[in-house]
Amino acid sequence: MTNNQNILICIFQRGAADGLNALVPYGDPEYYNKRPAIAVAKPGNLNGAIDLDGFYGMHPALAPLKSIYDAGELAMVHATGVPHGSRSHFSAQDLVERGITDKFSLNTGWLGRHLAQDNNAITSAFRIVSISGNVPVVLEGAEEPLALSDIESFSFDQGIIDAGYPSILADLFRTPLPFSNTAQSALSALDELSTAKPGDIKPDNGALYPTTPLGKKLKQAGQLIKSTLPVEVICLDSDGWDHHESLPGFIQQSLSDLANAVDAFYTDMGTNMQKITLLIHTEFGRRVAENGSLGTDHGTGSLAYVLGGGVNGGQVFSQWPGLRDQDLEMNEDLKITTDLRTIQSEILDKRLGGIDVNTVFPDFTYSPLGLFT
Amino acid sequence: MDKTKTIDIPSLLNSLHTRREFLTLFGKGLGYTALAATLPACGGGGGDDTEPPAPVDQIPVASKEYTTLKRTSFGVHRDELETINNMGIDAYLEQQLDHLSINDGNLESSLKSLFPLAFQTPTQLYAGFPENITDTYHDVISATQYRQIFSKRQLYEVMVEFWSDHFNIHLLNGLGPTLKPTDDLQVIRANALGNFQNLLQASASSPSMLFYLDNFFNQASAPNENYARELMELHTLGVDGGYTETDIKEVARCFTGWSIRFPNDPNGNYGDFIFNPLIHDNDEKTILGNTIAAGGGQTDGTQVLNILATHPSTAQFIARKLCIRFISDQPDQSTIDTVAQAFITSNGEIIDTLRALFSTNAFRNTSDQKLCRPSEYLAGMIRALAPDTDYPSDTGALFILAQSILGQLPFNWATPDGYPDTQSYWENTGGLLNRWRLSFLSYSSVGTIPIIDVFQIDYSAMLNGADTLLTMVDALSDRILMRPLADKDRELLLDWLTTETGQSDSTPLPAVTVDQLTPLIAAVLLSSAYYQLR
Repeated sequence: MTNNQNILICIFQRGAADGLNALVPYGDPEYYNKRPAIAVAKPGNLNGAIDLDGFYGMHPALAPLKSIYDAGELAMVHATGVPHGSRSHFSAQDLVERGITDKFSLNTGWLGRHLAQDNNAITSAFRIVSISGNVPVVLEGAEEPLALSDIESFSFDQGIIDAGYPSILADLFRTPLPFSNTAQSALSALDELSTAKPGDIKPDNGALYPTTPLGKKLKQAGQLIKSTLPVEVICLDSDGWDHHESLPGFIQQSLSDLANAVDAFYTDMGTNMQKITLLIHTEFGRRVAENGSLGTDHGTGSLAYVLGGGVNGGQVFSQWPGLRDQDLEMNEDLKITTDLRTIQSEILDKRLGGIDVNTVFPDFTYSPLGLFT
Repeated sequence: MDKTKTIDIPSLLNSLHTRREFLTLFGKGLGYTALAATLPACGGGGGDDTEPPAPVDQIPVASKEYTTLKRTSFGVHRDELETINNMGIDAYLEQQLDHLSINDGNLESSLKSLFPLAFQTPTQLYAGFPENITDTYHDVISATQYRQIFSKRQLYEVMVEFWSDHFNIHLLNGLGPTLKPTDDLQVIRANALGNFQNLLQASASSPSMLFYLDNFFNQASAPNENYARELMELHTLGVDGGYTETDIKEVARCFTGWSIRFPNDPNGNYGDFIFNPLIHDNDEKTILGNTIAAGGGQTDGTQVLNILATHPSTAQFIARKLCIRFISDQPDQSTIDTVAQAFITSNGEIIDTLRALFSTNAFRNTSDQKLCRPSEYLAGMIRALAPDTDYPSDTGALFILAQSILGQLPFNWATPDGYPDTQSYWENTGGLLNRWRLSFLSYSSVGTIPIIDVFQIDYSAMLNGADTLLTMVDALSDRILMRPLADKDRELLLDWLTTETGQSDSTPLPAVTVDQLTPLIAAVLLSSAYYQLR
């Protein structure tokens, strides 16, 4: 049994990832004026950006993604975000995950709403997976997403099974007692896992995942996809993007980890990549001007990455807003010129199958960017 | 937030613990052959149950005394249940609020000798840094877990955990391992049942916080807003507390120059707070409509803290969080208002605020409102089994392993908002599964995380002579759950056991079978919702 369902993987960069040092607008002189100590040098210089189109260049740590970009399977969208106006990590993450700008408007996540309305016939516990210790807000509203931080340890030891423990748990957590839905979902997931054994699946095509948390999560995403489990949506986090100080060193590490993990995943997936869309984004970007600690404080617009089958890649989608004071949000932040929900809508529309996007984002009108061929 | 290097917990644990070999065993179970070997062949089982189902299928409500303990401690302990039953709820809570009046035996002195790094100064810890990171991590977490399990000052420890989350600092964060132990003792533990304003002042000048939220870098020429933002959003006003982006910038200016002494500073001790006037912004500032006059120096910051500590939004924010901790995830506004008013009237006295909360109808007359957190789950299992033993010296890594699996390792939450205390965060498939596995692996006779061995838990005393399935289930549920078991659940447990053993529920079993079954039944009870509700 193979799974032909298109698959969406969302990586949330927690902590407000800087977009300006990741996809460097080296053609804008204001970039160097406002970041004299922390800017990435122009292409051709030591540790300079990797030129993409004469205006934008990738941070050198993103080098592993360049071949995917060149193969036309990676598109980057600059000056994007959800215009929620919050510079609080926690509020902003919440709003971005709900896909709203007014905190009182909807209490479900945008993917949760999509999955609830696209309730296909799949009854597997593995349709919706969060590779983490909890179910993120973005999946709220979906039916019983699975939270699984580690495939290998998501199992009962044989001794537990032999003692009839699962059956007494099923009895004690029967409907309508507290936690019954979660318990039943965990028990059926265990059943499915014991047959599918995704933990035994090895990376293909020589893919080498980094042993970082992100590398481990993407490796497991790959195992689930290559197994017989009918997975449709996977969410995972990349942590530690809040670089208030010493940004050049820290972002080098973070981008390198991101690029290596994504590159390994892309290699591992091979032709499977045709059914996969990988979306990477953050809660907001960082201040254009550097602070006194070689870092940046909280800002507005940032960067998103879209990878996978059918992506109209090899290009940067952006209406560059400029970096002069008068071009900036509140005179200090990169403006959002492409609403992140445009990207998300287009993915739902073109890749996840004919859903009414307006119900997912009721306050938002969508016109496609052309991210997919 | 943070700038964390991610630490690989399992490999850390492996390197940390050399005395026992169990650490790699989790996830590679031994197989339950021991039990099977002691049992007669399966045959029939006890007769089918044909009685009509109970009219309402629900978990029976526990006593108010039980509920009070569940909410104000790290799990119900039979001795404390007896105490509160004798004293009454009011007197019990008053005693807990006056925590120093409770004799805690030799706990603190034992911790000092078992976990010395948890008590060392930044200078002492820096002398062994970074080689001592793992040991520091072990000691400071173990000391916290031991207090949660063994201290008789349970409410105090609950509040220590509450404020540790509220003023969260990630331990494994640069110089953090040399600084956080002092913050734990001198900021959190020193003020956990004291005055909020003192607590806030202590936190703001705590080198650990100054380092974690980057204020040590904050200077007039180019302020760093990290601390200023989290101070208002997370420590005082709350995100909707009425401040603006301009307020954040102004507060950041007020705290310019609040820094710490770095290693090898000839003028003083590493890790001491310093105010550096040379990089302080001495111009006038405006905070939430209040003018901070020019030339205030270090008092700019203390004025800000006074404004924030006494702001009505802070009272609301703290009151709401306390209600979420002690009552439910959706406390009603009138209850929050009562608590907030006590906070205001008492000028932030935490005892008075808690006393008001404990007197609300919502606290007194509701129960089982949410899933307990992993820290209560883990400490509570030991407390429920009430081991009669001294503090074991060789379990720190065991608890660290267990809690890293459950996901609430102290001082290990990376972002400044602290571990959540809402059911929506903790109730999920992986979390529940890990609790089930842990109760089984810790307490069954074949468990690979043998907490049962370390504590020498005496199951036979709990059984009090019970040797049939029926009497065993009754004795163990009475002893471990300490709350009424629904008839239906009792029947289901007996059905399961009669099927597994092939024995009727009233047949006396051989001692070896009783010994094998007891921990298995205990593990099931500890896995149940009865135990997990708070």
